[in-house]
Amino acid sequence: MKSLRRDLSSNPQASNVASKVFVRSTKSGKVQKIVRELYLRQDIPCSSKLCSLCPSIAPSDANGNIAPFVLSDRPAGTKAFPRGHYLVPDTNALLNGMDLFEHTGAFYDVIILQTVLEELRNQSLPLYNRLLSLIKTDEKRFYLFFNEFRLETHVRRGPEESINDRNDRAVRAVASWYEEHLGASAKKGKKEKSVPAIVVITDDKGNIKKAKAEKVTALSLSEYVSGLEDSEKLLDMISEAREARDSKGPIGQLFYPEYLSMSKMMTGLRAGNLHQGTFNVSPYNYLEASVKVPAFNKPLLILGRDNSNRAISGDMVVIEVLPQDQWKSPSTKIVDEEAVTRNDNPDSEETEAVVSQNERKALQEEVKKAHGKSSEGKPQPTARVVGMIKRGWRQYVGHVDAGSTGSQAASGRRQQTVFVLPMDKKVPKIRVRTRQAGDLIGQRILVTIDTWERDSRYPTGHFIRSLGELETKGAETEALLLEYDVQYKPFPKSVLDCLPSEGHDWKVPATKEDKGWNGRRDLRDLLICSIDPPGCQDIDDALHARPLPNGNFEVGVHIADVSHFVKPNNAMDLEASVRGTTVYLVDKRIDMLPHLLGTDLCSLKPYVERYAFSVLWEVTPNAEIVKSDFTKSVIRSREAFSYERAQLRIDDPSQTDELTESMRNLLKFSKILRQKRYDAGALNLASPEVRIEADSDEVGDPLTDVKTKAMLDTNSLVEEFMLLANITVASKVFDSFSQTALLRRHATPPPQNFEDLINQLSKKRGMELDVSSSGALASSLDRCVDPENPFFNTLVRILATRCMTSAEYFCAGAHAEPEFRHYGLASPIYTHFTSPIRRYADLLVHRQLASAIGYEGEDGHAVIEGVNTRGKLEDICRNINFRHRNAQFAGRASIEYYVGQALKARGEKMAAGGTDTGIDEEGYVMRVFENGVVVFVPRFGIEGVVRLEDFVLPGEAGSRSVSERRELAVHRTTHFDPEEYTLRVEEKGHPEKERGVDVELFQRVKVNVSSVKEEGRGAGKRRVRILITG
Amino acid sequence: MPLDTSTTYPLTRLRLDGRRWNELRLLQAQISTNPASSGSSYLSMGNTAIMCSVHGPAEGRRGEASGAAGSAGAIVEVDVNVAGFASVDRRRKAGGSDKQSSRIATTLRAAFQSHLHTYLYPHSTISIHVSVLSADGSLLAAAINACTLALVDAGIPMPGLLTGCTSGMSGSASTPRDPRNDELDPLLDLSLPEEQELPFLTVGTTTCVPVGENHMEDEEEETKVAVLNMDSKLHCTYIETMLAVGMDGCNQIRELLEGVIKGSNRG
Repeated sequence: MKSLRRDLSSNPQASNVASKVFVRSTKSGKVQKIVRELYLRQDIPCSSKLCSLCPSIAPSDANGNIAPFVLSDRPAGTKAFPRGHYLVPDTNALLNGMDLFEHTGAFYDVIILQTVLEELRNQSLPLYNRLLSLIKTDEKRFYLFFNEFRLETHVRRGPEESINDRNDRAVRAVASWYEEHLGASAKKGKKEKSVPAIVVITDDKGNIKKAKAEKVTALSLSEYVSGLEDSEKLLDMISEAREARDSKGPIGQLFYPEYLSMSKMMTGLRAGNLHQGTFNVSPYNYLEASVKVPAFNKPLLILGRDNSNRAISGDMVVIEVLPQDQWKSPSTKIVDEEAVTRNDNPDSEETEAVVSQNERKALQEEVKKAHGKSSEGKPQPTARVVGMIKRGWRQYVGHVDAGSTGSQAASGRRQQTVFVLPMDKKVPKIRVRTRQAGDLIGQRILVTIDTWERDSRYPTGHFIRSLGELETKGAETEALLLEYDVQYKPFPKSVLDCLPSEGHDWKVPATKEDKGWNGRRDLRDLLICSIDPPGCQDIDDALHARPLPNGNFEVGVHIADVSHFVKPNNAMDLEASVRGTTVYLVDKRIDMLPHLLGTDLCSLKPYVERYAFSVLWEVTPNAEIVKSDFTKSVIRSREAFSYERAQLRIDDPSQTDELTESMRNLLKFSKILRQKRYDAGALNLASPEVRIEADSDEVGDPLTDVKTKAMLDTNSLVEEFMLLANITVASKVFDSFSQTALLRRHATPPPQNFEDLINQLSKKRGMELDVSSSGALASSLDRCVDPENPFFNTLVRILATRCMTSAEYFCAGAHAEPEFRHYGLASPIYTHFTSPIRRYADLLVHRQLASAIGYEGEDGHAVIEGVNTRGKLEDICRNINFRHRNAQFAGRASIEYYVGQALKARGEKMAAGGTDTGIDEEGYVMRVFENGVVVFVPRFGIEGVVRLEDFVLPGEAGSRSVSERRELAVHRTTHFDPEEYTLRVEEKGHPEKERGVDVELFQRVKVNVSSVKEEGRGAGKRRVRILITG
Repeated sequence: MPLDTSTTYPLTRLRLDGRRWNELRLLQAQISTNPASSGSSYLSMGNTAIMCSVHGPAEGRRGEASGAAGSAGAIVEVDVNVAGFASVDRRRKAGGSDKQSSRIATTLRAAFQSHLHTYLYPHSTISIHVSVLSADGSLLAAAINACTLALVDAGIPMPGLLTGCTSGMSGSASTPRDPRNDELDPLLDLSLPEEQELPFLTVGTTTCVPVGENHMEDEEEETKVAVLNMDSKLHCTYIETMLAVGMDGCNQIRELLEGVIKGSNRG
């Protein structure tokens, strides 16, 4: 027998083959030993433009292109390195200072090692991705050096060496190799002096020491940064996590229990003892949260800091149900973090307990309430957080709590710890160390959370950047966009490159022989018009109706053919799929598609020819649909109406031209369709919406811009036909793509969601709400009328809407067919088809429909590639659902901000005239708490909390300053009846009937609305203060 | 998790094991490793190691030899066994044929049945046993090469050396290729982590030894594709590039194998 041993001596190449052996454990706990080959080579370039040797050995790709060299021949210098320097960071430096490396003011010419990249990927995937995108940009000159494959820099792990030590050694080896290599190969003519220094950046003290011994320059991140210009700004961006690791030797007092280990959680989850869900903090009480778990149909309650155990709203947590004797009822109090803990000192960690004295008091009273007998006060299953699956941390917008800065804040550059109050009330304040506290006061800033240790009462984070002054338009708009994760950067060049080269001059081809006409029907003769809100530029849809010879009518809905311009999988398509939707703010629109398409080429503007995707129905005069047809088409809209103008034209009997007649027909059909829909059980829901007309002149009262949305017949005309088009398209697409059709569903809300509302209605008004089906709900909502209070019905509808789940996009394979139902519209199937300019879902549906009707595209074969795999589609659905929700939130927040600013402007004007009395309006009580109520003011579409001090008792001066009013709260007492939903506020010691104020649920109250400067969390928004005056 | 090719390759033009796009792994081979068989070989491409032995041509078993094909020429039987310890996770049930090994066996049988000059051995059977000792990608290609060596060792006539090689693309390649802006490179001889991540195909080519008069006129040897197998999904515009690179790899391997065969004669 011959020996089969690998004989390496004969092969000259073989000595350069090394192997990498490592052990890894899989998720299921199996341990695997992996062996990988490594081919060591000497042709990996150093990528420095100084080098004269490497260009000759630089690798080329399959086309013979050579990657350009990255590192500058004149790298920036600092005080310590006047000749310039290249940076070699190790993994910890990147983990702690990624924000720094992304900073545009410093950190150029960085060599990223393969060792480091790999380690970083194991430690943090988000950071890894950020680093990769840094490497890909040219400006920052980051070079990825595959050191493990270069013969000289490959490091074999020693027998007793830990993997960390080995990696550190690899970093040092690279540094010394670079030093030597550049020294030898720097282009002649450049003097010896110009060879840049190689600086290793590491936060490992041992590594720095070893580097010194090996004569490698090594600095810690903070040492390096302090040598740069504007180091103070940069120093703040170093992650806090590192400091914590360094400075805290022995762990001090532990405030929070430890999380369970992953395996324990898994065992518990499998056994059903533990539950997993998303941590959701109550908007009224920051100490109360709920977690919805699949095992129970009602969310579980989590009360107090101890039980929340460092969870932050949005985290995926594992919880354990507490024993029954510890169950509590949901809070009946409004608890604001900043009010309760305003005096906490950010620096002193030693003296604080998890539950401060004030908080303890607040909790005690809740425990008392827990034993109440009312249905609302009944103890509910309460749980505590025992483990963390995934943190939902993101970047938070907030501002520095001025009260938490030291006295010398403004003057000194001393590092100090301050609290940052996030805009989102559900997020606890964040402890941030900064040297520029003085400068940051009064600014909107962006911070991130690094860690929340067991020995710290608040999470620790670090400062990222400042958005600008509080209350300035730019800063607040950017803050909104960041807070709701809206992509607002301008479109990159790669996206703009996908636009038609003709730009605004693009036209529908004149001859029908042109390939653009392939598969398109010529509908230019039809009298088509569009009806939109005034000033609308991105016109998605247009309509027509015309009588047919057989007495029936042809009705058409024409939608902008966006899929013609946005081809699958190009840069523009990818960008649009990430953005998901256009976001409308009061004074700004963040487009999903570039301006050129959205407002011109796709937009169905009047008098010009445009590509469209048409849905045509033949309907009987009773609006029965005889048949429906889909086609790509070319149309020419005759007119673009606003809702009001369309209404005027329809109502004007002197207009008898064909276009008007067609609109009248449309209106007639829409009314029939609407009735049919309601008969089928569709809900007429309400949301507290107001519209802002920002373009009115500036001299007048700014509040006149705030208008509640008027519903004209023409609004519902358009709406009805869009719904009809969406439903028709949905079933067509589902017929062709039974697994991958993109649809939209609105799940039937579980009846227990309505329990509270049903209870409240029967108690206060003796009304009944039947939630057995959407039809039953619709008709019982219709019966909820209060003859003396016309708004009551709308109020009930708003409350009912909040009990429902939100509609979502999904792909057909993800649910069984009965689950497709759209509850609110009472339609068995639904999708979005009619607004492709502003919604990505519609664009995908367009592509699916095009493929379903066999449209072959310009070049003869239509591609719906990228949409046909279900996995990918589900990813897209997840993203657009998320974006859709965020866009709504951002829009609402924008209106709220605008209303606040309008009130402020008005207040200032009034103050100039001598009196600031606010504005008197009507409000409705939506919720009653023990120490306040929530009031909804329909005029401005806002709801606000009215606290004790904001009740104006009889015989008291109405307006006082904020601080004066705050004093009042101490002197007041309340009688709260949770069963009757009433609250009586009176002054202590004055129980006389006429000196107190009684409020109850659904009551109409007179309120005084004004914008007041508020310290604390609301400072940016200038809390809108609502005073109950009677 | 280690890095992945589709992310880092565009940045460094280096694959996960330090190779360039057009480099083979280290290929080592021996023949006549097992004197008890008619022909045998041991071949390793990187960490893929394969032992192959050939028995025959021998008189076929009664039942089969009487079959229709048996009379025309020899029947090639291939038996592939992936050892339980060949991959990272040890397979408990060793020896049983799984889907992967039976697919390789079918492909090999089809390839060699038509490749070998079987008509010289009617009513007989050539049985090939392939044992995979260690699997690290390009299994089919390595098996083809090992079989070729073992068949040469057994002295079974064939028109030329049949060699196999894999080639892939350095990304998912699901969209049409843009000739002006080629982002993806073809990769030669994929290792297991690359195979799991990227689309790839296996190609086997052979040369016809020119005979007679043609020999003089036609200097260049003609390469023929004998095996082509692809299980992954990619856009058809990439196939041509991959095929060209794969065939080039086959030629490189052929030279290496020729060296092995000639070297062993010397010994």
